[in-house]
Amino acid sequence: MEQIIIQDLTFAYQKGQPILNDVSLELPLHKSILLSGPIGCGKTTLLKLIARLLPKYGGDCSGKVNLPQGQRIGMLFQDPTMQFTMDTPRHELEFTLGNLQVPHKEISNQVTTALNFVNLQEVANQKLTTLSGGQLQRVALAVTIAMKADIILLDEPFSNIDEGNRQFILQKLTKLQKKNGTTIIISDHDLHNYQDFSQLVVQFHNQKAELLSPQDSQQLLKSANRTHANRITTSVPEASAQPIVELKDYSVIRNRNTLIGPTDLDFILNKVTLLTGPSGAGKSTLLKSIAKLTHYSGKITYAGRNIQKTFPGKYYSQVGLVFQETNQQFLNVTVGEELSLSTENGQNPFFKGKTPQAILSMVGLPDISNRVVYSLSGGQRKLIQNLVMLMMGHKLLLMDEPFTGLDHKSLQKLLTVIKQSRQQFPQTLLIVSHQLDYLNGFIDYHLVLNHHQLSYQGGLHDESQH
Amino acid sequence: MNPSIKLLLLLLISLEISFTNRLFVNLILIICLFIVLIFNKLTWHQFCWLMLIPLIPGIAVLITIGGYGAGHDWLTGWSMVSRFYVYVFAGGVMTFTTSPLTLVRSLEQNCHLPSKFAYGTLAALNILPQIKRNVSTIKVAGKMRGLDLHWWSPTLYFKAILSAIRWSDQLAQAMETHGFREERPRTYATLIPLRWVDWAILIISMVVLQILLIALP
Repeated sequence: MEQIIIQDLTFAYQKGQPILNDVSLELPLHKSILLSGPIGCGKTTLLKLIARLLPKYGGDCSGKVNLPQGQRIGMLFQDPTMQFTMDTPRHELEFTLGNLQVPHKEISNQVTTALNFVNLQEVANQKLTTLSGGQLQRVALAVTIAMKADIILLDEPFSNIDEGNRQFILQKLTKLQKKNGTTIIISDHDLHNYQDFSQLVVQFHNQKAELLSPQDSQQLLKSANRTHANRITTSVPEASAQPIVELKDYSVIRNRNTLIGPTDLDFILNKVTLLTGPSGAGKSTLLKSIAKLTHYSGKITYAGRNIQKTFPGKYYSQVGLVFQETNQQFLNVTVGEELSLSTENGQNPFFKGKTPQAILSMVGLPDISNRVVYSLSGGQRKLIQNLVMLMMGHKLLLMDEPFTGLDHKSLQKLLTVIKQSRQQFPQTLLIVSHQLDYLNGFIDYHLVLNHHQLSYQGGLHDESQH
Repeated sequence: MNPSIKLLLLLLISLEISFTNRLFVNLILIICLFIVLIFNKLTWHQFCWLMLIPLIPGIAVLITIGGYGAGHDWLTGWSMVSRFYVYVFAGGVMTFTTSPLTLVRSLEQNCHLPSKFAYGTLAALNILPQIKRNVSTIKVAGKMRGLDLHWWSPTLYFKAILSAIRWSDQLAQAMETHGFREERPRTYATLIPLRWVDWAILIISMVVLQILLIALP
């Protein structure tokens, strides 16, 4: 049996709301397979069913998932931070190899080999909590290499990492697949740049999943490449532009290394500024500095005042942060409660007087007010998170990877909402995003953080420049 | 020294002195533990903390027993205070000379502690800094939504518990995907030896302690 056979599979997290309904699939081994579909369609669920994590960790399941005998499974999770037991990459690898009963004498060598494969020798003994999302996914990949996994499952592995790391991991996976015949199954809503990698696509639609023929798969991947726009054109702010936030001699040092060198820079009032740069460069750190959530040297002023001397209550009523980790934003249990909290306390006139249902439908979501926030898919949660923060009407909204896990349709809808809202309430947005689709024309300025330096970019920018 | 034996020795010492009342024995123990700490590069900062922690309860006990107790027994008062310091220095020796990972490895290999317990605790320990950061982030997330969450707000703890439950689930899944199974034996990257020297230190230390307890006032 050289196939993963899925028979009449129905799965629901909450009774009566199946995520997958009567799905039958035959996935061939030794291939690279891509799971594609809109947000909340059950991609993650299917991967976890194959990995035997579900229904063990919750949910109702009927039907069968049959794996060929003796296939060892490795998995990379959507959230890069929550997949490790130990404190450093080396200890995690040692733990994994110990679990697999690799003889004591061979462990050290195998750890080195796995770390070399993903180019992470320098950070082997660093705390995992200090590594960037991209580096963490590479550690997770190293673990699957060390495990000598026959099947590697990757659940939206690239949603928090930059194009450079994405290409790096894809290249390594291709190498593995060619050399060892490893079966690789990736779920991703964004299909660009997969045409050299993936031979087959499984498409999810209305709780169903269907394996496309090789020809159709290639067709789909090619057309995804065409719609993928990775170029944006921006201008440099004029000297007379009014700033809202000013950095003065700002710098950040982490683990005795300079992350961001001494910088003087202005963020412009009521404009949309995009911040890009390689993963681990310090983009999130900059946003967290402005949100007073991390240490830095130098001075940051907001509307002319040092932010360290402004009372937190007052400051956070004017400055908001859309967290990279979606769940940190939520304070209640259901979607309805989250939305009504923002309706009560929010200042943004664009959302005033609108019902939760109307607000949800603006981003293409059905009426899910009664759903528990944490039971939603990654992309759905991201949409809700963006909405509740936009509704608050902060003068300055910092957004750390606000488009993670959104398919093209949802992303376009969300951008439209932001545009319409800005017409009535022109807030300042500072966005960190590694994906540039549909952003051309939406953003005013483009800031790049590279080699410890921040600088505004003028003219055309291509993501391959990183 | 083997971490498990070290832990056993320190526990035995602490247990024994809680049933005895000898000021000089306590002082000798404090000096011995202090010497061990100095050899393990105790910093001034750590030293100050060790001295500070038992200070307030120590003074309170001293005044209660010496000042107000029957017979104003200052000697008993001082021996109680010294007992506090023995506990704190013993704890200091354990934490400053052994990392949690080494201790867990030793407990797993030398004492056959179930690996589920060993690595579960370790995983929880490793996400502790994240939990701490999480609580302060929740407060900020609240302020950004117009909610003032104080340290006594139920919402803060409700949310923190919610995160903890989610994390424990994710951690369990992560351990399982990295090959961990509860009942299956494991091999070890680092072997923690259990030598006769370790046993010798344990036995000699205990014998010396008994002699001191009998010989000294």
